[in-house]
Amino acid sequence: MYISDILRRSGRTLQSAKVRTLLTSLAIAVGTFSLTLTLAASNGAQSFVDQIITDNFDPAELIVASDDRVFGQGDASTPREYDPSFGTIASAAGAATQISRLTNEDLERIEQLDSVEQVRKNIVVNLQYLTRPDQPKYVGTISALNPYQSPELRAGSIPESLSNKQLLLPEAYVKALGFSDPQAAINETLTLNVLPSGGQIQQELARSENYQAAIEERLLTQEFTIVGVLAPPLTSQPGTELYLYGGAEDVAELNEITTRGTPNYQRYNAVFVRIAGGENAETLQAGQAEIRELGYVAQSVQDTQDFLNQIIAVLQGIVAGFAFIAIIASVFGIINTMYISVLQRTREIGLMKALGMHSRDIGRLFRFEAAWIGFLGGTIGSLLAVGLGVAINPWLSETIELGEGNYLLLFNWVEIVGLILALVVISILAGWLPSRKAAKLDPIVALRTE
Amino acid sequence: MIELDKVSKRYGKGTSIFTALDEVSFEVEDGATLAIIGKSGSGKSTLMHVMSGLDSPSSGSVIIDEQSLHSLSQKKMDAFRANDMGFIFQSFFIEPNQTCLQNVLLPLEVAKVERSSRKTKALEALTAVGLDDKATNLAVNLSGGQKQRLAIARAIANKPRILFADEPTGNLDSATGDMVIKLLFSLNADLGCTLIIVTHDKDLALQCQKQIQIKDGAVQKITRANKKADKVTS
Repeated sequence: MYISDILRRSGRTLQSAKVRTLLTSLAIAVGTFSLTLTLAASNGAQSFVDQIITDNFDPAELIVASDDRVFGQGDASTPREYDPSFGTIASAAGAATQISRLTNEDLERIEQLDSVEQVRKNIVVNLQYLTRPDQPKYVGTISALNPYQSPELRAGSIPESLSNKQLLLPEAYVKALGFSDPQAAINETLTLNVLPSGGQIQQELARSENYQAAIEERLLTQEFTIVGVLAPPLTSQPGTELYLYGGAEDVAELNEITTRGTPNYQRYNAVFVRIAGGENAETLQAGQAEIRELGYVAQSVQDTQDFLNQIIAVLQGIVAGFAFIAIIASVFGIINTMYISVLQRTREIGLMKALGMHSRDIGRLFRFEAAWIGFLGGTIGSLLAVGLGVAINPWLSETIELGEGNYLLLFNWVEIVGLILALVVISILAGWLPSRKAAKLDPIVALRTE
Repeated sequence: MIELDKVSKRYGKGTSIFTALDEVSFEVEDGATLAIIGKSGSGKSTLMHVMSGLDSPSSGSVIIDEQSLHSLSQKKMDAFRANDMGFIFQSFFIEPNQTCLQNVLLPLEVAKVERSSRKTKALEALTAVGLDDKATNLAVNLSGGQKQRLAIARAIANKPRILFADEPTGNLDSATGDMVIKLLFSLNADLGCTLIIVTHDKDLALQCQKQIQIKDGAVQKITRANKKADKVTS
């Protein structure tokens, strides 16, 4: 018998036992449904991470630090010697972690390397508050605009380089600061207030009777002009959604004011180092090795991306493991169904043998039936998952604030087809023993069966 | 020509041996009609199974066209049954949830008949048994007589040289049974196939050119139509 004929006949046989076939397939569909959604969620998370990285970082840049704890690594159980550059950061678990930081001398050493094109400080200044006349005061953070970033604007434009107290304002501040619309904010003035630091000021504040009034007296005010209003970022670095962006020199000046005389003065947790020709992976790796030789920790954007994707992959593996267990459980359903089928069709098997059908082909007939069940279950499960995913993606995206156009569940048809094929193979294996029983039946005994 | 030479079939071992066939020998000419008759348990069906290669003899041989059937490999035996033999059973053995056409296509698929000619052959077979108008009907909806005619259509679809019918009227009323018998003999005449009927119905057996009476696995009497019975020595 031709394979195609066996395939067709096995499909027809299943059609004549619709309920049994459907119920067995549904057991597989449950596992497939879970696996398809797991894969889609993993794809969505990876895609989101990839997009954040590509939208916010220059692939030719390395993130360089003095301490590997900046990247969540290092041995936290061994006491370390004191280092004057030490600062405190919050670790992933929320505990305070002390890290050694880069100094200007470190940056000079790095800049002197032939492979280094530019060292960019990652300065972020927390304002005391920002405001404009007759409007409330808001907390805010300003950062230097990364030249690699090209944020979407609601109004205004971004000059070639931000300077002379120009800034970009997130759209969320527009209404809060009393502007009718983003365009109305362009060329308007915004007051940024920072509190100068230093031992003397701290002592004065400590001695003052009215602490809040004392702060207000000492605030240093700078006026900035709004040149652009930023659209809500779809794939910004998490936590930076409300950042104001200014020119590097202006932000450095604010940083100087707020850190001078403190342990944070001219200390950097990490800096961005651009490698000449770093778009090429090998050149970037060579530059990375050179910086590491100086005793610094250097991670490429790709390293960070790989690290995050690895975390996603581990989570995906755990969920997929449970879904796989569900599929394995449903395999026993196939075995049971196929055994019942062999018992019910004993006389038919006898007839087929009498008609000259090879035992091998009879075995195939039952294995193909199992394969059809797997195919059906896989298709039902994955289509249900895709249907559900398409339906809830907008809601999910809004609930977990992925931003418009970004979805958590991204379905990859190659993966889905691969999953269905894998299920077909698993089902064939599940049908192996029953099909062997069918193939080995004695035709005389089979024909005599009542 | 089918020749049986001292064919025996024994089951069991040692002291509990049961002899189902005991040195059965006879010949059947091509295109002839043969009735194997006997009471229940006499060995009729076992004889048919051995003659068709579904079962193997403990000793002796079945020779078809000078070729010992049981010396063939399993693959060749299957191919021989698929291409040269047709089977009709008392219980029809049709697939109730498939159409008449799909039922008749089964032996053609097994015999790997060219796809383009399968449907034509199947419809010819259905026409021969008067079921051409039921081709697309589900077999489950047929009457008993129609089911047996469908089984006959399936048996003759590939134009076999030998047609085995095991109690073909056993599950039918007499009127339907007569109709089926007429059909079988007319097919024997039209197709020129050898018709071997296993039955305990003496009237049916008398319509065959040769009758072989089996008792306790041994040939008791061989009778040819319009001739005296051969003397059987055992």
